[in-house]
Amino acid sequence: MATKPATSLAHLSPGARGRVSRITRDLTGRADRLAALGVTAGAAITVLQTFPGIVFECDQTELAVERAVAHAILIDPE
Amino acid sequence: MPCSMSSASVSSLQAPVLRLRAHPLKIALVGNPNVGKSVVFGRLTGRYATVSNYPGTTVTITSGRALIGAEVCDVIDTPGVNALEGMLSEDERITRQLLSSGGAELIVQVADARNLRRALMLTSQLAATALPMILVLNMVDEAYARGITIDSEGLADRLGIPVIEAVATEGQGMADLRSALPLASRVAATRLPHVSHIDWADAIAATFRRCDRVSAGRVREIINRAVREPLTGLPILAFVLYATYLFVGVFGAQTLVGALEGRLFNGLINPVAIAAASYIPVPLIRDFLVGKYGLITMGLTYAMAIVLPVVTTFFLMFGFLEDSGYIPRLAIFSDRVFRSMGLNGKAVLPMVLGLGCDTMATMTTRILGTPKERLIAITLLALGVPCSAQLATIMGILGGISVWALLLLFAVVLSQMVLVGFLAARVLPGDRSDFILELPPIRLPRMRNLVTKTALRVRWYLGEAVPLFLIGTALLFVFDRIGALDLLTRAARPIVTGALGLPSESAGVFVMGFLRRDYGAAGLFKLAHDGSLSGVQSVIALTVMTLFVPCVANLLMIVRERGVRTGLAILAAVTVIAVGTGAMLNVALSTLRITF
Repeated sequence: MATKPATSLAHLSPGARGRVSRITRDLTGRADRLAALGVTAGAAITVLQTFPGIVFECDQTELAVERAVAHAILIDPE
Repeated sequence: MPCSMSSASVSSLQAPVLRLRAHPLKIALVGNPNVGKSVVFGRLTGRYATVSNYPGTTVTITSGRALIGAEVCDVIDTPGVNALEGMLSEDERITRQLLSSGGAELIVQVADARNLRRALMLTSQLAATALPMILVLNMVDEAYARGITIDSEGLADRLGIPVIEAVATEGQGMADLRSALPLASRVAATRLPHVSHIDWADAIAATFRRCDRVSAGRVREIINRAVREPLTGLPILAFVLYATYLFVGVFGAQTLVGALEGRLFNGLINPVAIAAASYIPVPLIRDFLVGKYGLITMGLTYAMAIVLPVVTTFFLMFGFLEDSGYIPRLAIFSDRVFRSMGLNGKAVLPMVLGLGCDTMATMTTRILGTPKERLIAITLLALGVPCSAQLATIMGILGGISVWALLLLFAVVLSQMVLVGFLAARVLPGDRSDFILELPPIRLPRMRNLVTKTALRVRWYLGEAVPLFLIGTALLFVFDRIGALDLLTRAARPIVTGALGLPSESAGVFVMGFLRRDYGAAGLFKLAHDGSLSGVQSVIALTVMTLFVPCVANLLMIVRERGVRTGLAILAAVTVIAVGTGAMLNVALSTLRITF
């Protein structure tokens, strides 16, 4: 399915769909907080907006994140 | 749509866990944020817990008694949680503490039916408590509208606990919930140690949920998009602010206040009270009731005629915005500004809530991630965010002068907040957290919730503020009689008349302002009305009052949340900034010869 290589959420444009391939781990527990909101490997996402912040839908939840967070979310585009 | 408990699950369950007991059964309502725990709480107990459409409305544990069947229960409403393991927010710690300390004997997990996967992740963690559980799939109507169907019978069988479909706002499923309480049991399908919570949840959600892609209603989608995108969102924000100004500042602060203060109080109640008081032989008592600092002529008039109408209109407008899901979307626009202040877009929630009541908003800062963020947010709330009652009087006074005066005040206050936040972000140790915010669905607010919520808040205002207004008036009266007010006025004169260029009698108003900021502002309203304050003086006085010390209740809340030292430090900083800003504004306006 993943014909294109994984790219970060920050580089997708509105309307793009894909699945989370992984989340870059850091020391702040960012991955845990995203996981608690349902953003984990395998979750389907749709990008809704990219400016001023990044808004995307993940499993019926609409989430707004800043660019730095979006960079850490790697996506296999569909 | 079926709202039933699966009968298959009932027969397969073990013996009921409820027995005769010496104390009420403690039932905790637990769930992800914004899934309707407080609505279920209200349905079970008949008590109203504040219900809004954004995560983080419930910040404390509320409990209420309910008779369920023959059983007396204590139902506990908890703040929403996304996880009970790993990095936890303050809310999540509070809830975990409650569950692990024996504060609950039974868990009713409330879930948003649209979001089964996330709910199950929490179920998996709640199972670790080994407490009997029930799962309520709330908002099945919205899930259905989005093309999501859940096989709740199959789910109940698999989990081994009752699963109830509900639309709590309509009361659907609540009878099922009541009758299912004796059937609550431990989660049978626990995950294996090597399986993560999310994988466990994924597997179960995939089995029992079917999603047909249906769009979430065209109108809703269009509105959602329009408020979110900057090109349309910013004009909408301007319109919302203008509409608020028209409803609160013009209709509330001018039309209603005019009718209540002018006709009812000055035209009827006060003359009657003065006439009646003239029969009291002791002049001291007469003055105490109807004099310059009289309980009726000042205390009651301020509270009921000047502040109440505006507070009521504000709470109505505010409640509408809260329930519509609009406020969290402002975080998208404001994230950058807040980041420069050491916060993130999430901080828009406590800041906007502060417009309702700074004391409550101080508690809401718990949704922010780090101690540093909380400290900055609390300071900014204390410094610059006017509460509803204060906003009321500001709009009442400046709305009558000119819109430009109002805009100037907000510009000065906002720039002070940004400046202080900017400095605090650099001076204070610690980090800010990532901006990750869940946006609640856009909904048309329910009239009934809006009215109930407004009525509750107005009642709270009457119970909390009016006594303080009366105590404040009594204090002022005593100060005036023993000469302390005179002394204070004289001591403050260099600042008040010198630096700020205000008439000396406004010193007393600032004393009142400490008791409650709105009370001080109401004093200014009176002065402005009497013609003692010019337009420019009104702007300066109100700017200082807005930036000035938080009211007693807010200060106590800051001390409770952050300790005495922090409280006093914030108090000192805020006072200096307030007076300094007022003095600079005075110099600037007089040099530029600006008048309103």
